[in-house]
Amino acid sequence: MEEFGPIFRAMLRNKVKFGLIVAEIALTLAVMANCAAMISKARNEVNRPSGFDDENLLAVSARPLDVAMRQPGALAAMFRRDRDIVRAAPGVRSMLETRFAPWSDSDSSTEIRVKGTNVELPTQDYNIGEGLTSALGVNLVEGREFTREDVDRDTERSVAVNEPTPGRGTDAQLAKSFEQDVIISLAFAKLAFGDGPYVGKWFDSDGGSYFHVVGVIDRFYKPAHQQRVDEYVMFMADRDESYQRGFRALVRTEPGQAATVARKIEERLQGSEDLLEIKVEGIPEVRTRHFGPQRLVATLMGIVIVLLVLVTSLGVAGLTSFSVTERTRQIGTRRALGATTGTIIRYFLMENWLLTTVGLILGVALAVGLNVVAVTVFSGTKLNVPLLTFSMVLLWTVGLGSAIAPAMRGSRISPAVATRNI
Amino acid sequence: MLGYHLKLIGRSLRQRPTHAMLIVLGIALGVAVATAFSAIRHSFAKDPIPEKSSTLHYVRIDSWDLSSYWETVPSQLTYIDAMAIMRSDIPVRKSAMFRAELNVVPEPGKTTASREAARLCFGDFFTMFNVPFEYGKGWDRSADEARDPVVVLSKELNDRIFGGSNSVGKLLHIEDRDFRVVGVLARWSPSIRYYDLVSGRSQSPPESMFVPFNFAGPMQIRPVGSQSSWKPPSGPGYEPEMFTGEKIWLQMWVELPTADKVVAFRSFLDAYVIDQKKVGRLRRPANNQVTPLLDWMAERHSVPPETTVMMIVALLFLSVCAMNLMGLLMAKFLARAPRIGVLRALGAQRWDIFVLHLLECEIVALTGGAIGFVLAWGALFGVNNYVKSMFRRADLFQMDWTMVLFAVVASLVAGLMAGLYPAYRVCRVSPSVYLKLQ
Repeated sequence: MEEFGPIFRAMLRNKVKFGLIVAEIALTLAVMANCAAMISKARNEVNRPSGFDDENLLAVSARPLDVAMRQPGALAAMFRRDRDIVRAAPGVRSMLETRFAPWSDSDSSTEIRVKGTNVELPTQDYNIGEGLTSALGVNLVEGREFTREDVDRDTERSVAVNEPTPGRGTDAQLAKSFEQDVIISLAFAKLAFGDGPYVGKWFDSDGGSYFHVVGVIDRFYKPAHQQRVDEYVMFMADRDESYQRGFRALVRTEPGQAATVARKIEERLQGSEDLLEIKVEGIPEVRTRHFGPQRLVATLMGIVIVLLVLVTSLGVAGLTSFSVTERTRQIGTRRALGATTGTIIRYFLMENWLLTTVGLILGVALAVGLNVVAVTVFSGTKLNVPLLTFSMVLLWTVGLGSAIAPAMRGSRISPAVATRNI
Repeated sequence: MLGYHLKLIGRSLRQRPTHAMLIVLGIALGVAVATAFSAIRHSFAKDPIPEKSSTLHYVRIDSWDLSSYWETVPSQLTYIDAMAIMRSDIPVRKSAMFRAELNVVPEPGKTTASREAARLCFGDFFTMFNVPFEYGKGWDRSADEARDPVVVLSKELNDRIFGGSNSVGKLLHIEDRDFRVVGVLARWSPSIRYYDLVSGRSQSPPESMFVPFNFAGPMQIRPVGSQSSWKPPSGPGYEPEMFTGEKIWLQMWVELPTADKVVAFRSFLDAYVIDQKKVGRLRRPANNQVTPLLDWMAERHSVPPETTVMMIVALLFLSVCAMNLMGLLMAKFLARAPRIGVLRALGAQRWDIFVLHLLECEIVALTGGAIGFVLAWGALFGVNNYVKSMFRRADLFQMDWTMVLFAVVASLVAGLMAGLYPAYRVCRVSPSVYLKLQ
């Protein structure tokens, strides 16, 4: 420890050179810790489970490319054919007709009221066919799910309200007071009604429609454009047979067979008598696309951290090497006076250790300062102690590591050099 | 002196090529990261149409009910309001528009049909947004009024259907009728689909075809993208829902080249809203917005905040690289001190030594900057590839001359920051010390 005094005095005489290392380490730590915070936030988002059986889910879409399908009769027949093809494909465990797909970028939301109140409650809303719980892998907390009869009945009714059918006309009277059964998520049930039981409760909306709760499912999660409705949903029984959107379904396959089943479904739909635009996509792919921006940010930040460590270690090595060259005569003299190679190496490593430590202490302050700005101005991620500690340990090691080679070179300077001129 | 010094720089670089390479590469990495990350942000933040962005205005009218869904003025218009604005003569150009998807059947009966993204708009669209054409041109107002079945194709769709040939005059079957091609666009793919910041991802490329707005009714075309309504339609079918109801689903742009026009247009809107209130429509307090393009982009957050954070991180990284360069240059210069001592003794002025060394730093920085720019370009290719499936395009992030300028300025500033102190140190070298030693 007797080197401590000389090292310290040498630093004071060479403020700029040593200050540079300290500043570089400090800034590196500050940037690195904040990048790491962004990466960890992105990772947390990417790893959030949907609560559904994502690995075995497929989103199927078959859209008609033939204007003849605009006729309601032809359209219904096409839907029937597509439905039968998908359901009969080998490896299909269950099928839910719906536009809803976990992690997809489109969502549908609305506002409804608990009957008799004035508060508008936001929720996602989707039309579905039968088979909700088995397709999503969720459980009913209360009530029941839609049967095929429910779906057929409500679909027919909504067609009568929305689409004029030749000969029969539309049922304007029906549109005025439309009653529909709905299944909601537990989170939304709690928001709307507090504690249960929920089955038998009513909602209403501006249009004069009424919604009757028949079932409650235990979980639901789908990131929506309005973030506060991620866990709220209201499902209505309706096959939603539209020419523009085409046939859409969520298929749950036997475990591990998603890829094979996807190919089978695509082939069979291709072979149907209708002209269709077919897309069968695994939910994991949809998820990957959904989190694309987060993954991009995490990857780029990771690259920055690697480059930062590289550049900083280069800088530390360069400056230590410069120190060694500058003190060639001094080292030679010390060696001549009896200092061992170990002493010389220790001297430079100690110097480096001291600089890195000072840099890291300043760096923590800088990192926290930068983080406060990031959090307040850009709603960034808060730093945490493990991240900061990890960054510090890494930089410590890198700092020492990059000083070793120049220090070794210094230790090999022969005492004879001291007697020579430069 | 300059020539001599340049020779010296060259010699010193050749003497220790690895060392020189490390110095240049260090600053190249800094410029590369700074340029690439800035280019990512710049793709979203730049003025997409600088020659007229201040004259293009997005129009909104608060047509919502007193209920809570839209806290402020809705982002789109009802058909009633959009058509009322289309009747105004104040804007020199104007277009209501929406995004849709339509079936295209190049040859009836064959299985090459596809569903294409389409924009329904008025003929003014093409001149208003300076859309570049490869063949033909857009349609004019008389075609809009006469409801001529004409269509403008994107370069990509024309390549796919007509093999890239001049297809002007040819027929294309869309949904249930034939349209005549009147124009084919040249490559046009702004990073932000700035004329529609409402429907889906605004980073999507422009639509594959453009169809006269007045076909929406006869072909019963509904929008893909955002639409909402506070009031159920008065009856069944397309028209009550889309045309006569209160559904908001249309984007509206007007071109107002002078401040007078803006004032006149605003008072036209005010008068219109008062009239509508008299007939019982528009229940909320009047809130008409005529927003210039760049303000509208800011309001729609077309620059993701992450890209700003990333740019700041990149600039900090560049400063670490500059510090690094400063250390390495200081070592390099001071190693040269004996020679500088001799030069000084022979009559070189401090100022000359200072300037020459600063020059050396800038040469190093600019060389690094040039390499860095190439690296950044490569990195953007990589990033574009990475996001290809996400945005369904491979040209989302683009380099332009602004970014070249950015790279040059960034290198010069980094070189200056890194070089000032070492150059100052070396010019303070006292000749006597080194003369003695020699």
